[in-house]
Order: sequence, then structure tokens, then C-alpha cells
Amino acid sequence: MTQKSEMPGLTVGLVGAGGISPAHAAAWKAVGAAMRVYSLEGADRFADTHGATRVDSFDELIATSDLICVITPTPSHAALVERALRAGKDVVCEKPLARTTDDARHLVGVAAETGRRLFPAHVVRWFPQYAAAQQTVAAGGLGDLAVLRFTRAVPYPFDRGWYSDPVQSGGITMDLMIHDLDEALWMAGPVATVYAQRRTASEPHPTETAHVVLTHTSGAISHCRGLWTVPKAPFWYTFSVSGTTGQLRYDSRDEVGYTLTTSPDDPPRPSPSTVALAGDPYSAEIADFVRAWRTGEPAKVSAEDGLVAVALAEAAELSAETGAPVDFPTFLKGSQA
Amino acid sequence: MTQTQQQTTRQADEQESTSMQGDHTDQRRLKVAVMSFAHPHAAGYVHLLQQAGVDVLACDPDRVSSADHEVRGADLAAQLGVAHVDTYEELFAWAPDAVVICSENTRHRQDTELAAAHGVHVLCEKPLAVTAADARAMIDACERAGVLLMTAYPVHFSPAVTAAKQAIAEGTLGQLIGAVGTNNGYCPVGARRWFLNPEWSGGGALVDHTVHVAELLDWLTGDRPASVHAVKNQIMHADLDGVLCETGGLVTITYEQGLVATIDCSWSVPKGAPTWGGVTLELAGTNGVLEINPFAQRVGGWDGNAGGRDFWLPYGANLDDGLLRTFIDAVQARRAGEAVEWPSPDGHVGLRTAQIVEAAQVSARKHRVVQISELA
Repeated sequence: MTQKSEMPGLTVGLVGAGGISPAHAAAWKAVGAAMRVYSLEGADRFADTHGATRVDSFDELIATSDLICVITPTPSHAALVERALRAGKDVVCEKPLARTTDDARHLVGVAAETGRRLFPAHVVRWFPQYAAAQQTVAAGGLGDLAVLRFTRAVPYPFDRGWYSDPVQSGGITMDLMIHDLDEALWMAGPVATVYAQRRTASEPHPTETAHVVLTHTSGAISHCRGLWTVPKAPFWYTFSVSGTTGQLRYDSRDEVGYTLTTSPDDPPRPSPSTVALAGDPYSAEIADFVRAWRTGEPAKVSAEDGLVAVALAEAAELSAETGAPVDFPTFLKGSQA
Repeated sequence: MTQTQQQTTRQADEQESTSMQGDHTDQRRLKVAVMSFAHPHAAGYVHLLQQAGVDVLACDPDRVSSADHEVRGADLAAQLGVAHVDTYEELFAWAPDAVVICSENTRHRQDTELAAAHGVHVLCEKPLAVTAADARAMIDACERAGVLLMTAYPVHFSPAVTAAKQAIAEGTLGQLIGAVGTNNGYCPVGARRWFLNPEWSGGGALVDHTVHVAELLDWLTGDRPASVHAVKNQIMHADLDGVLCETGGLVTITYEQGLVATIDCSWSVPKGAPTWGGVTLELAGTNGVLEINPFAQRVGGWDGNAGGRDFWLPYGANLDDGLLRTFIDAVQARRAGEAVEWPSPDGHVGLRTAQIVEAAQVSARKHRVVQISELA
């Protein structure tokens, strides 16, 4: 990327080498960073595949890196981030910032106390379609926002270790919908109340859905729908943003930049993904974090945003359990937590 | 859906001119009266009834809910080429077999009760009523009188809905867990002002645009609503004179068998958009996801003469025609002495959808979830 020449000697210390790690590896490479990796599993494979240097402890990783990037399973985020911050390192942390609001709030406090930067990796803010929408919203292109809708659907995370365990991952709202909660927050601002319903059933295929309705302090209202659907379903996402002077609509399935029709005798060939056609959002995200880290300027997402996103997901879980709307400012402060 | 329905009505006229005449056993032509021109659909209904080969009489007795520019009464009747009388007394003296009620929402109950008292079958514009109690009273009146009560939900007659009904009945989706519906549209400020005044409309977008999708969910799933949560605002169109109601709303419904559905009922299609809006419904189950968009069919393009506004040329089935055909067929069958049930969408789904709206209004006002069982 353009920053490459401005980044002599940047060494990033990646902790974790799981499902998300190839996306991060490509993004860190794109900014010219040298990579070190520490992971309980998969470190050798990651090091070989991506040209990273494997280290044997988290302490060693901290000691030998300029910046720490936490891409481990969700339940371990809080402890690793805190250790890195307290050791004087700035930290990029894959979303969600922490498994619980209490932990996320604590991390924001530790970052403030230690004077370190903390960048929660809400990558959807760098998906170009969302970025274009938010830019238009922020420039007043829709007037005052009134009604927002977001949907996101992926196959049910069946048999995928910690990710399939709602206690560890936080489930569909914390792991999947958190992107859309963050988008609603980004576009329409602070949230006043959260109402949620969640449904799951298993025959013939395990599926789960969550519906979350936010009222923003501006008066705008947002609906987020997460869906873990049948196996082999495509990954798709949509949004609609309406304001006093206009409406934006987007559906990833409408993006037909590549269509191949062949004889039925030919083997099916996968089409390039939306992400592949539009440009890599992870690279844009990491480039923005590195820019912010170098200059001291804000990144597109703040540590506080990461905390609020976790709290929105947890407030939604609380509402789904109790069946009643949750007063969000109170929840965020912690008296309900 | 005013504009599109009227457009498609006009488009389909020529093709449909004789298809509803049927094989009457009774020699006398069916007589259908249109009560009120308050609802803009009245014009399209008059047209389709005329094409259906029934005798049509209209009565638009007052224009108290109208702005000065709105064409009503004998003037509109003359434009439509339909006979008009000034009072409902005269209308019922004509001895119609059936009426199509197009009055303001808050008058649906009194008009339905009047028709039932005259032993006349009723097709009532949606929403059937502005409270569950009114809807129940209308059902009771029609049951006592032995007349049909049908609610005008034209989207029910979309071929996409018919296909969805079959797919779901065959178990294609497995167990349903979630649904997202939208019925977004223009702020109905142009054709009829009363939509924006709760005294006549019973409320804003929550009333106007929740019920179409709620009826589809009722029909497609067979499930019954248990609780409703709704939020609303009046941010869009707040600068328009005479907007006394919500223009944005999100209604979340839980159903007895476990489905959760959210309906975006907002009047969020900006003035200047190339089409009035639309209806969409996505249903997610344990075996797949189904999406229907009954208004998807259109030819698009850019109009260089109109400052860059898109072309939007809708085509496809005339939904109002399916609605009226079903009603007329049932009325004919009754007249022939057949024991026909109330055709779908009937007064009972009109009640269930009215319950959802009333619960949504209470929920949005009180900021809490409302159980359907709480309603009077």
C-alpha cells in the first residue's frame, strides 16, 4: 500500500494463528511490516506460509514487537490485550474487543491509564460499500437519519470449536451481528435503548437468528438481523439507510461483477467474492491503524467504539433473555452488568 | 401502493375485460357499490368492477377529511365514468349485493356495520379497523348478518406469494425461525391528506404499512401473534404541513410457534424516487431462506429528460384484480346458494393484523413489549 515506504522497520507481533490470521497476514504484509507470531496452535504453519518469525512466549512477542495484534479466540482477548498494554505496547485487537462489557470497559480504562493506543478491528467500517454509505451520511447526503436496517447471513458455525460455543464466542449477536451494531452506531450515533429477540432450531439443520432494534439518542431507529443459516449458503449482507432527504440501499447479492456460464458438463468454478472484487478491507483497516499509530491521530474506530459494540451485543443478549427493552446508557455504565 | 396499483390496473384493463363475467346462474347482473372515495384505491376498484361486468354505483357523501385540491364526490365519479349518489341511504336503496368500503380508516367500522345491517357483503380497504375492538365488532356484525367480510390485502394475490405459500406448505423451509418484512413507501401526502391525521387514519406508518406484511406472515405461516414491540419516530417528512403522526417505525412480532418477525413500515421512500415503494419479505427456516418481492418486476433505466431520475416501468400481475375477482366470485357463489366461507384475506386476518397494529402503537407509546392477550 502507499504507506509501505513510510514504514521502515515496523514489526508487528501477532498472537493467534487461526481462521482470521491469513487476512491479517496479508494486510500487515501490505503495509510492509515484519511479522512475529506466537500461538498455542498453528504458529509454525503460519510462520511458513506467511514468512513470519515464530516466538515461544507472549512475553517474547511483546518484547520483540513494536505493535501487538491480538487475533486469538474471543475469551482470551481481554487478558492478552491487558498484558500488552501494561507492557507498554499499543494493540490492535480483532473484534469483539472482549467477551464481556466489563472486560471491554476495563481494557479501555487500562489503555487510558497506560497511555497506550487500542484499536478494535471492526473491519466492516473498511468495507468500501459501508464506508461509502457512512461518508455520504456524515456529509449530510441523506439529511437527518431516521430508519436504518442491516442484515448479515452466514452458514451456521457447525463444528467449529470455540466459535460454535456461545459461551466462548458470545453467540450470534457478539460474533456476527456486532458488525452491524457497530455500523448502526457509526452512522446513527449513540444508542438509548436495545430490544432483541433470538431464535434457534435444529431440524433438519441447526440455524439461529437474532433481531435487534436500537433507538438512537437522535431519535433514529435501527434494525439489525443476524442469521446463521443452512450449510453452504452464501455469505450475504444488506443495508438500507433512510433519512429526511434520501435513502441508500445495498445488497451484496446484487453485485454481479463476474458471471460465468458454462456447459453443465464443466465442473463448477467459484466466482471471485465480493471482497475480492471490491478490494481487501483488512488491508485498508490495518493501513488506517498504522497511520493512526504513526501520527497519533484517531483511526476510523476508537477503543470506546469497541467497548460500545460489545455492550450493544451484550445488552441485546440481556433483552433476548428478559424479553424487555434495555436502557443502554445505564447498561454501558455497568450498573446492570 | 396507490400509484403502482393504479398503473397496473390501467395496464391490465384491456386483457381482463371479460374474464370476471363468469357463468351466472342468476340472470340479474351483480350490483356492487363503492362506499367513499376517501381512499385513493377507490378509483382503481371502480375501474376493475366496471371491467368485471358488474353494475357499479359510487357514493362519496362528504369530503371533510380532504384538502381543497383533492377531487372527490360527483366530480371524481364523473371522471371515472361511474354513477354516483350523494347519500348512503340512496346507495342502499339501490339494493347492492356487495360494497367495497374505501372510507377513512376510522370510518370502516360504521360503514361495515351499515352494510351488514342491509345484508350486503363487504370488501373493506385495509386496515380493517384502527382498534382490535372495532375489528371484532365488524366481524360480529357480518357474522350476525350472514354476509361476507373480506379485507383488501392485494399483495396476498401476488404470484410470488402463491408460490411461497406452496413452498412453505411443502415444508421447504423447515421450521421457521425468523422473518424480515418491509413495506416502505412515499409519505402519502399527495393523494389524500387524511393519511397523516390520526383522527382519520388511526395513526401513521405503523397503521398504514405494518398490515400488508403482517397479513403475508399470517397467511404463509399460519402462526398467530403473541407479542409486539415497536419503535417509531417522526423525523422524515417532519417539515411537511399536516403530518401529525409517525413516519418511521420498526415492529417486532413474536409468534406462538416461535417465529420472530420484524417489519419496517416506514414511509422512507423519498419524494422524487422513481417508484412509490414496495413490499419484501424474507423468511428464514431450518432448511433454507425464502425471499419474495412482489413488486420487483420492472424495466429500469435513466431518463435524460427528467434530470437523471430513473425509469421505473413496473409490470406483472394486477394484484387488485385478483382481490376483486376473489371477492366477486364469493359473492356470486353466495347468491347462487352455495355455502362459501369468507374468502382470504378475510375479516379474521383483518382482526389479527389490527391487533398487531394496536399492540405496536401501545408498545411504541409505553416503551415496552405488549402481549396480544392484553388487548381489549
